[in-house]
Amino acid sequence: METRLIKKDLLAGLIKGLAQDTLVYAPVQDEDNVLFKVLEKGMEPLTEYDNTKNAPKNFFFPQQETLMRYLKKERGSELLGVPGVTAEAVLFGVRPCDARSFVLLDNIFDDPQYRDPYYVDRREKTTIISIACTRPPYTACFCTSVGGHPLSSEGVDVSLIDLGDNWLAEFVTEKGEKLMKKLGDLPKGDEQWASKKEALAEKAAGAITTKIPGKDIKPWLDENFDHPFWDTIHASCLACGTCTYLCPTCHCFDITDEIKKSDGRRVRSWDSCMYWLFTHETSGHNPRTSQKQRWRQRFMHKFKYFVDNFDAIACVGCGRCVMYCPVNIDIRKIAQDISKL
Amino acid sequence: MERNPYVPIPVDVAKITTEVTTKDIKTFRFAFVNKEDEEAFAYLPGQFAELSIFGKGESPIGIASSPTDRGYVEFTVMKAGTVTSELHNMEEGTRMGIRGPLGNTWPLEYLAGKNVVLVGGGFAFTTIRSLINYMLYEENRSRFGKITVVYGAREPGLLLYKDELALWEKRDDIEMNVTVDKGDADWKGKEGFVPAICKEVAPSSENAVALICGPPIMIRFTLPEFFNLGFSKENIFTSLEMRMKCGIGKCGRCNVGSKYVCKDGPVFSLAELDALTPEY
Ligand SMILES: Cc1cc2nc3c(=O)[nH]c(=O)nc-3n(C[C@H](O)[C@H](O)[C@H](O)COP(=O)(O)OP(=O)(O)OC[C@H]3O[C@@H](n4cnc5c(N)ncnc54)[C@H](O)[C@@H]3O)c2cc1C
Ligand code: SF4
Ligand code: FES
Repeated sequence: METRLIKKDLLAGLIKGLAQDTLVYAPVQDEDNVLFKVLEKGMEPLTEYDNTKNAPKNFFFPQQETLMRYLKKERGSELLGVPGVTAEAVLFGVRPCDARSFVLLDNIFDDPQYRDPYYVDRREKTTIISIACTRPPYTACFCTSVGGHPLSSEGVDVSLIDLGDNWLAEFVTEKGEKLMKKLGDLPKGDEQWASKKEALAEKAAGAITTKIPGKDIKPWLDENFDHPFWDTIHASCLACGTCTYLCPTCHCFDITDEIKKSDGRRVRSWDSCMYWLFTHETSGHNPRTSQKQRWRQRFMHKFKYFVDNFDAIACVGCGRCVMYCPVNIDIRKIAQDISKL
Repeated sequence: MERNPYVPIPVDVAKITTEVTTKDIKTFRFAFVNKEDEEAFAYLPGQFAELSIFGKGESPIGIASSPTDRGYVEFTVMKAGTVTSELHNMEEGTRMGIRGPLGNTWPLEYLAGKNVVLVGGGFAFTTIRSLINYMLYEENRSRFGKITVVYGAREPGLLLYKDELALWEKRDDIEMNVTVDKGDADWKGKEGFVPAICKEVAPSSENAVALICGPPIMIRFTLPEFFNLGFSKENIFTSLEMRMKCGIGKCGRCNVGSKYVCKDGPVFSLAELDALTPEY
């Protein structure tokens, strides 16, 4: 694997340089928040930050997108077209947990039976640069409990690791190596890097103090769909959906039609299993009428159903739902409580 | 190029048949606008499609025709909400779209060489009709054993496919038991609820498979009759409904436990359902 050193004060400039002729998404300061945004002229990409409030999934799976346009006629209608292919892009500054979410989402959207052309197109054209967590940013972080690691380069094309004065850049994939050429001449990384990395990785993982039982609770979940424990978690839930919207792995969506005069479009928008309407059928029947059932669904989907289907937990341990739930429902605590039953 | 699974295939409404006296169930026959689409739309009984009307939306509907019917595809639709009401207002010749075929099929391979018992209640008879026409097709008939049908509706005016029912009654390679909860002056067939008729007909479970479709209450009372007759959970199949959007296992809406009804179903054996969470 090729490695290069990038002086600390040069990185932001390099990213801005890329943005001159390439679409770049990067973390930027937005009032009190750090958010992923399209990097435009005059914007400063952050290189030192905790994590973004929004997960980067929206660059591949936007909160709202047009699937197709059509023309309504007097009788019937005519398809006008499907949005064209997207441009090459660089997604800069992703944390390893969020990068891993793409690997999980690929199971859904890049399924060989039905490939989702919108997602797959953007995913293929985007090069991902991560910033490893040599100092895990939050006490809510728990990536190591759900199959991730603060220094992991899973799902990443270029991994940046903080060495103090320099960033060490690992060019992990072919896409990453292609990008390396665009960055210009950079000094090669240290030959002994591998052994140093091990020490850094161990230190970073050690700094993550929250441990939750990940796959260990799967056997309990397999057997206990009707356990009274499920009555104890949802009482304060407002069904606001914040947890699902901020979640890097939640992928539920709705498809709706919008029409103005004769111009119409079919749109997909994020949806949430926390909503009553999500499963409501026209007949009035609804398999999930209570917030208890919906919370159980959310938890089961992440810790059982996804594991059944793809042998991975659909949670990357980023901590967003823990930090931003307005009533402090904590998915880590639910997992821990289950392991004590 | 790979087909975009969200883009509907253009079809024209070729024929509309009002099935019932209440006029809220109609069968729509669609003709493909492009010949190659017809070939690409290769389906088997039990599958469904999203009927797609630009400006209104989409609805998942079981395919009511059989792949042995060439040149068209049919769906029987009850008027319910936005999309289905728009359909009911349509005239022959209107252009719209369908997306599919979607989902799995009735277990055709498993049915081969076995006696097949088909039970339908209300208007959930549509994909069973597809299967009957498929099995009765000349080149297919010898692949299946005895075919027994129990089909019930509330009253005679609510029975679907009346012309076909009459044709099947005349054949000797299918045993028809059509029943209504309450007959009228002209009704000469059976009277009684589906579970009771199943008990009376008492199909043997020997080398037999039962496919049961209908309202939940009918299914609840019919199943014990089949267990009494010795049918195992592996040999009873049904077709599930859940609210759907994408139809291709992505939007996360239609799961029952770890299965998506749109992609892994809609057809499941009772044994398979037992292994899933009871939330549908
Ligand atoms: C596999 C399958 C096969 C079906 N086969 C038939 C059939 O052969 N004939 C028939 O009349 N009906 C069938 N249904 C039910 C039919 O899909 C709903 O009645 C229909 O979607 C209502 O849509 P609407 O736009 O008229 O109602 P609205 O309430 O205006 O629409 C709401 C939207 O919610 C979804 N939705 C609502 N209820 C259901 C439901 N029960 N199942 C799935 N999605 C739903 C659809 O996306 C629909 O467009 C089937 C459902 C499934 C899942
Ligand atoms: S963020 Fe909290 S209150 Fe809102 S839906 Fe999720 S669990 Fe419920
Ligand atoms: S309808 Fe979208 S997952 Fe089944």
